Parts: sequence; C-alpha cells; structure tokens
Amino acid sequence: MSNEAILHGSSAAVHEVHGDHHHEHHHHETFISKYVFSQDHKMIAKQFLITGMVWAVLGGLMSVLFRLQLGYPDAHFTWLENILGKFWVKDGRITPEAYYALVTTHGTVLVFFVLTAGLSGTFANFLIPLQVGARDMASPFMNMLSYWFFFGASVVMLSSMFVETGPFSGGWTAYPPLSALGSASPGSKTGMDLWIIAMALFVVSSLLGGLNYIATVLNMRTKGMSMTRLPLTIWALFFTAVLGVLSFPVLLSGFILLIFDRNFGTSFYLSDIFVNGVGALPNEGGSAILFQHLFWFLGHPEVYIILLPAMGMVSEILSVNSRKPIFGYMAMIGSLFAIAILAFLVWAHHMFVTGLNPFLGSIFVLLTLLIAVPSAIKVFNWLTTLWRGNIRFTPGMMFAIGFVSLFISGGLTGIWLGNSALDIHLHDTYFVIAHFHIVMGVASMFGMFAGIYHWYPKMYGRHLNNTLGYIHFWITIAGAYLIFWPMHYEGLAGMPRRYYDYSIWESFKQFGDLNRFISTVAMIVFATQLLFLFNFFYSIFKGRKVTAKNPYNSNTLEWTTPIRPGHGNWPGEIPEVYRWAYDYGKDGREFIPQTEPVGADESHH
Amino acid sequence: MSTSTTAPVTTKWWSGGKSPFNVEYGKLMMWYFLMSDAFTFGAFLIAYGTTRFATAGWPNPNEVFKSYPFAGENANAPLVFVSIMTFILIISSVTMVLAVKAGQEMNKKAVVNNLILTIIGGLAFLSCQAWEWTHLFHEGAWWGRNPFINADGTQSTTNFTNFFFTITGFHGFHVFSGVIINIVMLIMTLMDKFEQRGHYLMIEKAGLYWHFVDLVWVFVFTCFYLI
Amino acid sequence: MEHTAHIEHHAEDGKKEVMRVTLILTVLTLVELALGFWMMKIEAQGTRLMIKGVIVILMMAKAFYIVGYFMHLKHEIRNMIMTIVVPLLLFVWFIGAFLYDGNSFKNLRMTYDSHKKEMSTKKVEKKEEVKETPEVKKAVE
Repeated sequence: MSNEAILHGSSAAVHEVHGDHHHEHHHHETFISKYVFSQDHKMIAKQFLITGMVWAVLGGLMSVLFRLQLGYPDAHFTWLENILGKFWVKDGRITPEAYYALVTTHGTVLVFFVLTAGLSGTFANFLIPLQVGARDMASPFMNMLSYWFFFGASVVMLSSMFVETGPFSGGWTAYPPLSALGSASPGSKTGMDLWIIAMALFVVSSLLGGLNYIATVLNMRTKGMSMTRLPLTIWALFFTAVLGVLSFPVLLSGFILLIFDRNFGTSFYLSDIFVNGVGALPNEGGSAILFQHLFWFLGHPEVYIILLPAMGMVSEILSVNSRKPIFGYMAMIGSLFAIAILAFLVWAHHMFVTGLNPFLGSIFVLLTLLIAVPSAIKVFNWLTTLWRGNIRFTPGMMFAIGFVSLFISGGLTGIWLGNSALDIHLHDTYFVIAHFHIVMGVASMFGMFAGIYHWYPKMYGRHLNNTLGYIHFWITIAGAYLIFWPMHYEGLAGMPRRYYDYSIWESFKQFGDLNRFISTVAMIVFATQLLFLFNFFYSIFKGRKVTAKNPYNSNTLEWTTPIRPGHGNWPGEIPEVYRWAYDYGKDGREFIPQTEPVGADESHH
Repeated sequence: MSTSTTAPVTTKWWSGGKSPFNVEYGKLMMWYFLMSDAFTFGAFLIAYGTTRFATAGWPNPNEVFKSYPFAGENANAPLVFVSIMTFILIISSVTMVLAVKAGQEMNKKAVVNNLILTIIGGLAFLSCQAWEWTHLFHEGAWWGRNPFINADGTQSTTNFTNFFFTITGFHGFHVFSGVIINIVMLIMTLMDKFEQRGHYLMIEKAGLYWHFVDLVWVFVFTCFYLI
Repeated sequence: MEHTAHIEHHAEDGKKEVMRVTLILTVLTLVELALGFWMMKIEAQGTRLMIKGVIVILMMAKAFYIVGYFMHLKHEIRNMIMTIVVPLLLFVWFIGAFLYDGNSFKNLRMTYDSHKKEMSTKKVEKKEEVKETPEVKKAVE
C-alpha cells in the first residue's frame, strides 16, 4: 500500500485550500462567484439560512391559514378568496382540499426544509470549518452542489403549490395508498409527483452535505484539535450528519418503490383496494405497513437530525454565557452517541396501532423508553452547567434556556407516547401534535434562534438589536406554551388530529373557544417572527458594528478569525489548539482560549 | 480532558492536523457514500424479504430463470446463465483491483489495460442483463405483470416480478454508472492526468465503487436466484 | 535501490493476494451453485431452510473477501475499519424487525382474510398464457 501517495494526496488537498486563500488577494471576485455560486462555506451557510427563513415564513403562514379554519370554522373571510384564489378559499372558508394540502406542506416544509436544511445546513456549514480550524469544507464544490440541490428541491416544492389539482395533501408522512393512487384524492395527482421529486432532490442535497460534514470533522481538524477537544456543537453536527447519511437512503428506497406503485402498475404497498368512482383495483399482495416501516426508519432518525444540532449549539451557548465549563463533557458526547444509535432502533413506535405485531411493538417500547436515559443526562448536564453560573442573559442565552425548558416539557410527554398501551388512546390525537411540536418543532426552532442570535456577529460583523430579541423571545416562549399546552388537554379528551371542522362533532364542540384561543395566539406568535425577520435583515445593514474580535470572551476558534473573515477564514496560519473548548473560570481566569498553550502550573480539571 | 498527557510513542492519529485514518478526504467520502448506498440497497432487499415473508407462496426461481441465449424455447438450465453473469462481475472486479495496484505502482500501461478489461466486463454484464430482461419480457413478465405461478401451484402476486425488475434494474443502473466512471478514468489516464498529479488516487475511488457494485450483486444473486 | 526492491516485493505479494482471493471467491460461488442445484431436488422444508442458511453464510463470506481484500478495508487503520463495520450492525435489527413484522402480517392475513386464505390453497394451471393477475383470478373463480 503506497502510503506516500496517500499522504501526498492529503497534503495536496491542504495545498488546494491554501491556493483558494491566495486567490482572494489576487483575483477580484464577481457577484456570481461571491454570492450565488459561492464555494465559501460561510456564504453557503447564509444561503441555507435565508432559504430556510423563506420556507419558515411560508410554512408558518400555512399554519396560520389552517388555524384560521380550526379557530373560526363558521367565519367567512371573503377577502382571502381574492388573495389565494378559488382552489384554496371558497365562500370565505379554506376548502377541505386546501386544508389538507396546507397541513401536509406545513409539515414537510418545516421538518425537511426549515429544520433540516435550514438548521443543520446553516450551522454545520458555518461552524464546522470555523470551530475545527479548517479553511473550508473538505470539498467546497460538493458543498455548493448540496445547496443548489436544496434550492432545486425548494423550487419544485414551491411549484407544486400552483398546479391545478393542488399540492400533495396526504400528510407529510405520505402513507400509501392515499399517496400511491392518483385517483384517491386531487392532491395525490401532479402535486404528489412534484412532492416526490422535491424530496428526492432533497435527499441528494442532504447526502452531499452530510458526507462533507463527516469528512471535514474527521480529516480537517487543525493541529492539536483532537476529537475530545471539539466543541459540543461539532460533535452534535457530526452525529447529525451520520444519521442523515445512513437513514435518508432508506427513505429514498421507499420513495422509489412508491414511484413504481404510482406510475408503473406495481403493488409494493397496495392490496385489496376499492376506490370510490373507480372500483376495485387489480393490485394484490403489497402491504402499506411496509412503507411505514421504510418511512419511519428515516422518520425517526430525522427527528434527531432536527434536534441534535440544536442540542449542540445550546450546550455551547449555555457554557459560554454561564462562564462555566460545560458539565460532563464526555457524558454529553456519550449521550449524543447513545441517542444516535437508539434513533435507528425505535422507528416502529410511530406505528403501534397500524397492525404492527404487538410483541414486536413491546420491544420497540423498551428501546424507545431507553432514549429517556441519554436525554435525561443531557438535561441534567445543562441544568448543572447553569447552576451557580455567572449568567449573561443575552438573547441567544435566553433562547438556549428556553430550549432546555421546552425539551423537558415536550420530552416528558414522549414517555407517555412511547408506551404502546397508552398509545391506543393517544395516537392520532392533539396530544401527539402537542408532544412533537414542543419537543422537536419549537425546541429546535429555539435552538436555531439561539444559534442565530449567538453567531450573528460572526456571520455579518454586526449585532442584532437586543431589545427586539428579548421581545421576540418572551412572546415566542409564552406563545409556544399557550398554543401547545392546551392541545395536551384536547388530545387526552380524544380530539383527533387532521379533522377539518370540529364544530360538527358533539364530543368536540366544547373545544370551540379553546381552538379560537390557540389560533389567536398562533397569529400573534407568527407576527412576532416577522419582527425577528425585520431585526435580522435590518441589522445586516444597520446593526451595531462588532468592534472586538471576541465579543463574548469565548474560547472556541471561530473568535480567533478576523471580524469579517474572508474565504479561507484565517489570514495567516491556522491556529494550533492546546486545550478543550470549555476552560471558563479556571485558575481565576474568566476564560482561556483554545489556542493558548497549557501553562506549567495550570491545574487539571 | 486529556489535554496534558505525555506524548505516547505511537502516532497520535486523532490529535488533529492529519487524517485519523491516514486517508485523504475523497476516499473517506467514497467509503461513507458507499455505506449510504448500502442502506439504499439494504432497504430494497429488506423490503423484498419482508414482502416474501408476508406472502403465502412464491415462484420457484429455478423455473423462472432457466434459459440462456440461443437455447430455444424449451431450455431447462437453471442457474447456468446467472452464474456466468456472476463470474463476469467477479472477474471484472479482479481486473479493477489490478488496475488500482498498477496505479499505485505508477504503471500507466497496466492501468489502461486493466481498465479496458474492467469496462468490457461491465458491458458484458449489462448485455447479459439486457438479454435476460428481454427474455422475461417476452415471457410476459414486467412491472405489474407476472406470468409465473407459485412453487406450490397457487396463484402468485405480481410482487415477484416487481421486486426483481426494480432491484436488478437499480443494480444495473449502478453497473452502468460504474462503467461510465471507468470510461472517464480511462480517458483521464490516457490524457496523463494522473501522471501529472503524481498519483492515481481517483482510480482507487472508482475501484471502491466498482467493487461495491460487485458486492451488491453477491447479495442480489443470492436473494433472487438461490433462495 | 533497496526501497524500490521493497515496493516490487510488496507488489508481488499484492498480486498473489488478489489471485488467492479470486480463487476463494470462485470456490465459494461454485459451492453456492452446487447447493442451489442440490436444493432443487429436495422437498423437505427443513432441509431447504438449512441449505438456505448455509448459502447466506457463504454470501457473507464472499462479502467479507470483497470488502476486506478487493476494497482493501482489511489493510486500513483499525479505527477506520470500525467506523465502517460498526454502523453496519444496524442492519441486524433493521432486518430482524422487518422480517418478523412481515411474517406477522402474513399470519394476520391468513387468519382474518378469508379470500387470501382461499387463494393460498387454490391451485392454478401451470404455464397459463395470461397477462394480468385479475384475469387469472376471474378465470380461477
């Protein structure tokens, strides 16, 4: 085996990056190469972030629309008809087809486009090279492709909003037979084709990105940056990438079989079906449960793909702003690892009442409840990091603390739902909606906000407005609990998900006022997010300028770069690392950056 | 953390500044891509297995795949043709190994020769597959159509052919893209690209992909033709 | 000079290894085929299942040789081998749970779906000149 060749290869790779760096001085970058087809990880991160924000606004707007229907089932908003058109609004009410399309697209967009691409796409790209001490990603070109595949997926998904039969409306999980049969519902026609194409592009994007993140974390760490000196952000993003690389292909396989069922007369998922107006279908021998297995084999890791980056960033932000080392660093890594493994073993807890074998279900219950262990370790470590800390309540810190709060209250209901016996009563009720929105939706959004507030100075060289940040935080956290807390109550009372109009049900009429309350809060919270967007875009141009290289007195490497780092991140040599990232309050010093050599008389920790 | 321990004698692979696995990032990415692809194929084959476990009867592969080219209507030679296909792929994998080895020795001529052999092997495999598909199509088999009955004489569902065409098709697509990659490698070798770079690492990565295609066939062959 | 000689020696070893692995793969495939031919003559389900088990083990052995020697994984650093092999262990539960549930689904169908149960015992004529299943069903009925 020619080791020379290999070593040569790796040194060549390093040279390449150096070369890029020199480029910057000699060549004038065009608008296209700097802002559009950029290969700079920081610019790609911003592209992911802003595309994600666009989707977040659209997805949020969709939730406002269907909350309008749920909160005010009798009202007629005739003005909406003029804006949205006849397919969406008829007689001043959201049409049933549109309602399901809105729910479906809201789910798909928020889960995949905002909280996967927008969250790990943004922060993995932005933070990995900066925090491990690399000039760029392992392959900047693939990184660029990753964004443009995501952009392609976005365009296709967006275009599905405008087809005549409407976007896909069978739920974000796309269960067949509804998703497999065009004759089953209008949304299952062209809308579903576009939905699958968009998702396939998205899988490619996340694969390209994930491979890059893994290779960068493993291979491109700067001198002295051993794995156990990495900030927890990097560990979390690393496991996120591993989860994505191993689970998205299974979804792709499931989708390919679905495409065959839709278009080529196969019956992988179809058997014994009668469609009203069409008659009995010839398909025999398939099983819809098979799709659910394949889907949730991705679907469950997916919730950790969403959650882990938030966990990592929160760990870092809590430590920096408590001015204390993170409590139980190795336990944090261990629990991330345990969560990553368990994520692959528990998928069928989404399927307890689908006809899954009950004995198999009981094993899945056991494995599911095991997740409580690493989750609890993380929660206790966050709380002990905060304990007696010298806390700085920056907006980023507020959102990080908010994340911990949401993760606890949403996680506890997960223990209920993880029991197959309780699930018989709770499945497909608002209890489930409340659970996953708090623990994975809102909590991850909080992680994302925390990350944006915290690293905004590094991204744009300016600060966000703190007052607006505090307003944003308090309304959002109060709103999140006011929206989702009552849903637990509705769910326990048996109110099912996905219904179009509860006012015609004798059992659920009583929740009319509560639904109206939830809808009202949802609109207020949505409006508050617009305030954040204003803050974000205004501050890019007019925000208070960052004057110090290291505004938070933080240890990690990204704060050793210039205030507005160019392509290549460090103007001179990449700094060498001598210690872990969490030397806060050690030996009477407030903080000791990773780049500072260990002193002779320094204490061990 | 273990920041201030004394330096051990052995190389500190994980201490940063170098690859912990002593490989360049491209090869690492190729390996993890193949892991990912293994899950794609794994999911297909597991879906196939699940469907078989969920179905009462299944056609006997020996009664389906029993013909070979120029054999006429009544050929009865199960496993013969597919074993030829298997050997073609194994041999093309061997020539690929030799190409990679030649690349490590900077032996351009041997690289070219072995790459050409590999490409021929790949094309031969694809031709065999094309023949088999055509043959089955003429027997009435296709996606959604299954002319074969179960081994126990009962009516079969279409999932036998559905899975066969989908999975061998997906594998064939991989072989096809592998051949394309190898052709690109051949052209780059002939243009002295690797000589100029001073290493043939690209061929190593292409080789990994090609062996993976062979590896998948080992599983497809066993799952569809043998058991 | 010594260095080049070493490399050549190394290369010679490598070639030998390739030939050895090729031979092993060929033999394994031939054994698999022999088992396949043998299985055609066997009716007893238990024996067939056992042969299938042996074939799967041989398949894993082939996979080991291809990955280990052709893909060169055996000669990589131990940690790299672990990062590749350990995630593959996920397949154990992946396969186990899927197949178990598939089997359970069949039992459900055979117990509660009288039509499926009937179809699973009704013989149809061999070599029918039919194109699609629903027609066959009608013909049978």
